[in-house]
Amino acid sequence: MNPGQNVLLASHGTDGAKAAELMALELCEQGGHVHHLIVVPTLWKGMTGDDWLNNGKTRNTFRRYLEDQLSAECDEHIKRVKTAAEAHDLRYTSEVIVGEPDECLEKTSTRKSFDLIVMGSPRPKGKSGLRSRMQTKKIHKLSTPIYIVPYPDE
Amino acid sequence: MVYSKKSPALFVIGLIMLAIWYLGDSGMMNGYIEHLGGKKYKYLGEITSLPLYFGLISAAFGLLQWLGPQKEGDWDYFTSAIAGAMFILIIAMLVRWFVAPEIAVWSKAMGKVGDTGKYIHKLLGLNYIVIGIVAGIIIVNVFKVPHWAENGVRLSRLGLKTGVILLGTLYSAAELKNLGGLSIIMIGFFVLGSVGMVLWLGARRNIPNSMGGVLSAGMGVCGVSATVASAPVVQAKSVEIAYTIGTILLWGVGCMFLFPIIGQLLGMSYVQFGAWAGTGILNSAQVAGAALAFQPDGIETLKVAEIFNITRVLILPIIVLWLAVWYVKREQTGEAVNVGRVIIDKFPLFVLGFILLFALSTTGIFSPPVHYKGKYFDNTKVKPKNMMTDEQIATLTANADKVQRADQKAALARLIEGRKIASIEDDATVRGLVNSRVMGKESGAILKKAHKAVRWTAPKIKAFRKWITWLFAFGLVGLGMQITISSMKQAGGQPAIIGGIVGFTKAALSLVVVMMFIKETI
Repeated sequence: MNPGQNVLLASHGTDGAKAAELMALELCEQGGHVHHLIVVPTLWKGMTGDDWLNNGKTRNTFRRYLEDQLSAECDEHIKRVKTAAEAHDLRYTSEVIVGEPDECLEKTSTRKSFDLIVMGSPRPKGKSGLRSRMQTKKIHKLSTPIYIVPYPDE
Repeated sequence: MVYSKKSPALFVIGLIMLAIWYLGDSGMMNGYIEHLGGKKYKYLGEITSLPLYFGLISAAFGLLQWLGPQKEGDWDYFTSAIAGAMFILIIAMLVRWFVAPEIAVWSKAMGKVGDTGKYIHKLLGLNYIVIGIVAGIIIVNVFKVPHWAENGVRLSRLGLKTGVILLGTLYSAAELKNLGGLSIIMIGFFVLGSVGMVLWLGARRNIPNSMGGVLSAGMGVCGVSATVASAPVVQAKSVEIAYTIGTILLWGVGCMFLFPIIGQLLGMSYVQFGAWAGTGILNSAQVAGAALAFQPDGIETLKVAEIFNITRVLILPIIVLWLAVWYVKREQTGEAVNVGRVIIDKFPLFVLGFILLFALSTTGIFSPPVHYKGKYFDNTKVKPKNMMTDEQIATLTANADKVQRADQKAALARLIEGRKIASIEDDATVRGLVNSRVMGKESGAILKKAHKAVRWTAPKIKAFRKWITWLFAFGLVGLGMQITISSMKQAGGQPAIIGGIVGFTKAALSLVVVMMFIKETI
C-alpha cells in the first residue's frame, strides 16, 4: 500500500475502527494530513421508539442526555486519535456528522481530495456494538482507494 | 424558523378525502361496498361524513401552506403539524374502510382454518389496527416519513393520550374499582417480579449497573417509555440504551401479533385478554395495539388493557425513584436523589384528565349516573315493536312454573303483566334468570330481548366510543411510523438474552394467572 499525504479516516471508536486508526496513522506520510470522520448514525433519531406515556419534559431530558452521551463519546475518540496523530507528526482535523454512515463517507470523500480512505472491518458475529454498516456497495464505487483494515485477532 | 413546508401534499390529501366522501355519498361506490360485505359493511356512515370534514380542512390548509406566504411564529408552528396528522388519518381511513375489509373478503373466500372454526384474518387478528400499525412501520422503514409530515407524526402521542382521557367516560365506579384492584395486584406482582429478576440475572451475568437499571425498568414497567424515563437516572451508556430499546421494540412488536392469536385460540374473554396483554406485553403502545387487534369492533378489551397501562405509568415514577436510589448506592456516586423532583417530573399528567372525565361521568353529565358499561336503564321509551307479543307472553307463562326463587317469580309476573321490564331491579333479576337458564332456550331468548329493550346507550357515550376508536387508530398508525427497523436491529448483547428470559417468563406466568384466577366478567 502506498502511503498517502492526505488520508480520510472513518472511525467511531469500535475495536475494528481502532485498528483502522492505527493503520491510518501508519500509512499517512510524515507531515501529512489525517481527516477523521465520525458518523453518528441516524438510527439514534428513532431511539425514543414508540414511547407515548412520557411527558414532553421526560422525553426532552432523555434526548439531551443521549446527545450529551454521544457527544462525549465523539470527543473521546477525537481526543485519542488527535493525540496519536500529533505523536506521529501528522496534521489532524475532524468532523462529526449525523447521517447514514455510507452516505456521509461518500459525501466527505468527494467533497475533499483524499489519497486514501482507511476504515475498519464490520464487527464479527458475537462482538458487542451498534448494528450500523459503513461498508456498503456505495463505498466500493468510490474513486478514492480504500483500505479496509482487518478486525483485530480475526 | 418556519416549520410548515411548501408542498402540495396536504392539499392532495384533502382532495383524496373529498373524493372518497363524494364516491360514498353519491352511491358511486355501492358496487364496491357490496363486494366488501353489503349490508354487513359497517363504515358507510363514516365514509359519508368524516372525509368531508377532514377533506375540507386539509384542502384549505393545504392550499394556504402550498401557495400562501410563510411566516415564523406560533401559528406556523402549530399548523405545520396538520400535514402529518392528515397523513396518518388518511392511512387510517384507507386501512379501516377498504384494506382491512378487503382482507376479510379474501380470508372468507379461503374458508375457515381447520377445526378452529375461525377465518384466517380473525385468527391472525388482521384487522384495521394491526394493518394500520404495519402500514406505519412499512412507511417509515421503506419509504421514510415525508419531510412535510414529520412534525405532525409526533401528534400520534397526543391522539393516544386523548383517547385514554376520553376512555374515562366509559367506566362505572364498580368497574374501575374492580379493574383497578385487579391491575394493582397483577402489575404490582409482575412489575416488581420482573424488575427483581432482571437485576438478579444482571448481577449473575456481570452486566454494568447502568445496563441492569435501564433494562429492569424497560422489561418491568412499560417498555420504551420506562427506558426513556430511567436512562438518564441510571446514567446508561448509549449502546446500553440502544440494546434495551431494540430488544423491547422487537419483543413488543412480536407480542402484538402473537398475543391476539393465542387469545383467540384459547377462547379468552375480553377481560382475560385485556388483563393478560396489560401485564404480559412489555411495551405500552403494543398493549393498546394487541387489545384492539383482539377486539377491533368494540372497546371492552381496550378498557381493561388501558387500566393496566395507567397502573403501569403510575408505578413508573416510583420505579425510577427506586432505581435512582439503587444506582446511587451501588455506584457510590454520593449524589442526593431529589424525591419530589423525580415524582413531579415523571408524573403522567394525562392520567389526571382520565380521572377528571371519569369523575364527570359519575355525575351523570354524559349518561345517567347508574350506567353500566355506558348503558343505562330506561323503560319509558320502549318502542311498540319491542314490547312483548301475546305469543311471547304465552311462552313465558307456560314456563313460569320452572322458576323457584320468589324474587324471580315476582319480576317475571310483573314483566308478563306490563309486557316490558318494570324497574332496574327487575332488570337485574331477569338477567339472573337468563343466566340460570331454568326457563329453557326459547324463554331465555325472549327475556334477553326484553332486557335489551330497556337498555340504552347514551348518545354522548356512543360518540365517545367512536372518537376513542378513531383516536387509538390514529395514534397507533402514527406510532407505527416511529418504529424503525434500524432501532429494532440493535436488539442484542446481554439485554437480548436477559430480556428474552424475563419477557417470556412474564408472558407465560401472567397467562397462567389470568386463565386460573380471572373471571370472564368484571
